[in-house]
Amino acid sequence: MAVWLKGPNGSGKTTLLRMLATLSTPSCGTLEIFGLDVGRQREAIRHGVSLVSHSLYLYPGLTARETLVLWGRLGGVVLEPESVVAALDVVGLADVGDRRVGGFSAGMRKRLALARARIESPRLLLLDEPFSALDDSGCRLVQSWVREFVEQGGTVMLASHDPERATPICDWRVDLAAGQIVGLDRGAGR
Amino acid sequence: MNIRKLLVLAGLGLAAVGTYFGLFVAPPERHMGDVQRIMYVHVPSAWIAMLLYTLAFGFAIALLWSGRQKWDDLMVGAIEVGVVLNALLLVQGSLWGRATWGVWWDWDVRLTTSLVMAILFAGVLVLRRMAPNEERRSQWSAVATVVAFIDVPLVYFCVRWWRSLHQIQSSPDTVDPAMVLPLRLNSFGLLFLALAWMLWRAAIERSSRRASEVPLPTRVAIEESAHA
Amino acid sequence: MSSLLALLSKDLLLEWRERARSLSVLLFAVVTLLLFSFALGPDVETLREATPGVLVLALLLSSTLALNESFRLEREDRALEGLVMRPVSLTALFYAKASANALLLTFLGPVVVALAVVFYSLEIDVATMTRLVGLWCLGAAGLAAPGTLYAAMTSRLKSQDVALPLLLFPLVVPVLLASVKAMGLVLTGDAMNQLRSWLTLLLAFDIIYWSVCGLLFRFAVEEGE
Repeated sequence: MAVWLKGPNGSGKTTLLRMLATLSTPSCGTLEIFGLDVGRQREAIRHGVSLVSHSLYLYPGLTARETLVLWGRLGGVVLEPESVVAALDVVGLADVGDRRVGGFSAGMRKRLALARARIESPRLLLLDEPFSALDDSGCRLVQSWVREFVEQGGTVMLASHDPERATPICDWRVDLAAGQIVGLDRGAGR
Repeated sequence: MNIRKLLVLAGLGLAAVGTYFGLFVAPPERHMGDVQRIMYVHVPSAWIAMLLYTLAFGFAIALLWSGRQKWDDLMVGAIEVGVVLNALLLVQGSLWGRATWGVWWDWDVRLTTSLVMAILFAGVLVLRRMAPNEERRSQWSAVATVVAFIDVPLVYFCVRWWRSLHQIQSSPDTVDPAMVLPLRLNSFGLLFLALAWMLWRAAIERSSRRASEVPLPTRVAIEESAHA
Repeated sequence: MSSLLALLSKDLLLEWRERARSLSVLLFAVVTLLLFSFALGPDVETLREATPGVLVLALLLSSTLALNESFRLEREDRALEGLVMRPVSLTALFYAKASANALLLTFLGPVVVALAVVFYSLEIDVATMTRLVGLWCLGAAGLAAPGTLYAAMTSRLKSQDVALPLLLFPLVVPVLLASVKAMGLVLTGDAMNQLRSWLTLLLAFDIIYWSVCGLLFRFAVEEGE
């Protein structure tokens, strides 16, 4: 399913996503993902979780293709060249696979980060403002991309300020305010 | 009466008696004369500074091991007091060197090592001030403390090979017992004072940390408006 | 292990792609050599005597440049955080980065030593030069490990250019002393057969720094911010 995290700035959307991505530790309480404890079984969780955050974690000196290959190798996966091309094709970057990321526009960088997030077929996808920096076609791409992922059985949590784009693709809406969940709704669009 | 006050009283008492013995009872040294009496503060300073650094190293390991912030409080106490004593040590050493060797400074093994040691641990304190948040601050200080502490013996051996001129360390057997007594008294006095100071500093650190953990009133207001 | 190699090849590839950066480090080392000749020269005899110290200081000064740079890319787009998020051990991350830094500094060695031979009119044969370069490499390795550990921390700070040398220089005094001594013995002849002990000492420092810093790195880098 897809969950939309909604809330004003500073309401804890990013913090929640970062905790789910095992980048932050909860200051109290316990957090379990896939039945694994975040404190002790971090590495196992990291194989199944992918985060696309505000910072895209890209090296300007690497090409798009190298970026994906490196990401795979760091997860212990050797990617076939065809699967790299396929992944780039999905986000519309197949033609520029051998160009350096440093020359990419913000939208292209975002697309690359999205392609990278799914390279290892995660079970949980965390998207922080996935529609920012993207043009209309890019946003539509993200929307169909999210739905496809969900239909394959994945879970998406996305934080967004864009109700028009987030509502139609999400099954649930979670309202956050000042670090608290203040509302939980079936998504209006579905 | 709490333990810190007890330590201060005991420390002051011991140091007072020790200083009296050192200045008026112990015989003057044969070659150096009265100047040598600086030893009764110099040697205790060195011992206690080293001891505090060792404690800081222990606290740093405990912090990295357990992640508990109380070790950070003690560690910063130990390092700060250690650096102060270390600075005093350098000044005393320089004075003594001027009086006996005729130079303010000499690149002798113990002088050089204590100078590098002071800079290393002062560096830890600088890093502390720069750290971006509380968790980073404690972890970074602990990392730097461990590295600095391990580095000190390396510096010592290296400089010793490089050159040496310091007088051979005396053992209590070869020294007049009247000299040993004030040395011991002063050492324990300084030890108690330094420990008290360290505990006080740790208490201050703990309070300021707690103070920063109290949520600001504005946040309460936001929360209320959100619920409304 | 495979992730270590992946990271190392990434670092080396990026260094190669940004050759201008690595080259500026080399240029900086050369400038240091020049400045020392102005500070100590023009008497060739004095310069010759000072060569070991000058070489080691050139290495030290250029190392801070290289170290700071090596983490700039990691911080720019918070790429380091991306790496941390992968199931990669931070220890592998450390050894990859430290090796990349050590290699970069090593590459400076032959050039700087050769230039020192020219500038300071050293009359030495190729074997002696090779030994000097070898000592340079050992020194570079001794700087790279603590340097990488500290650069990982200071790269998060605005004042990183001040912070890194402040922390690193006093720390690496043993490496400096041992390298200067050993280089001096190589240049002036080793009458008392001391070179072997200084070499052992330098190697021992390298091993200690590489193991201690490797153990501590995971505390220096944040799991998240």
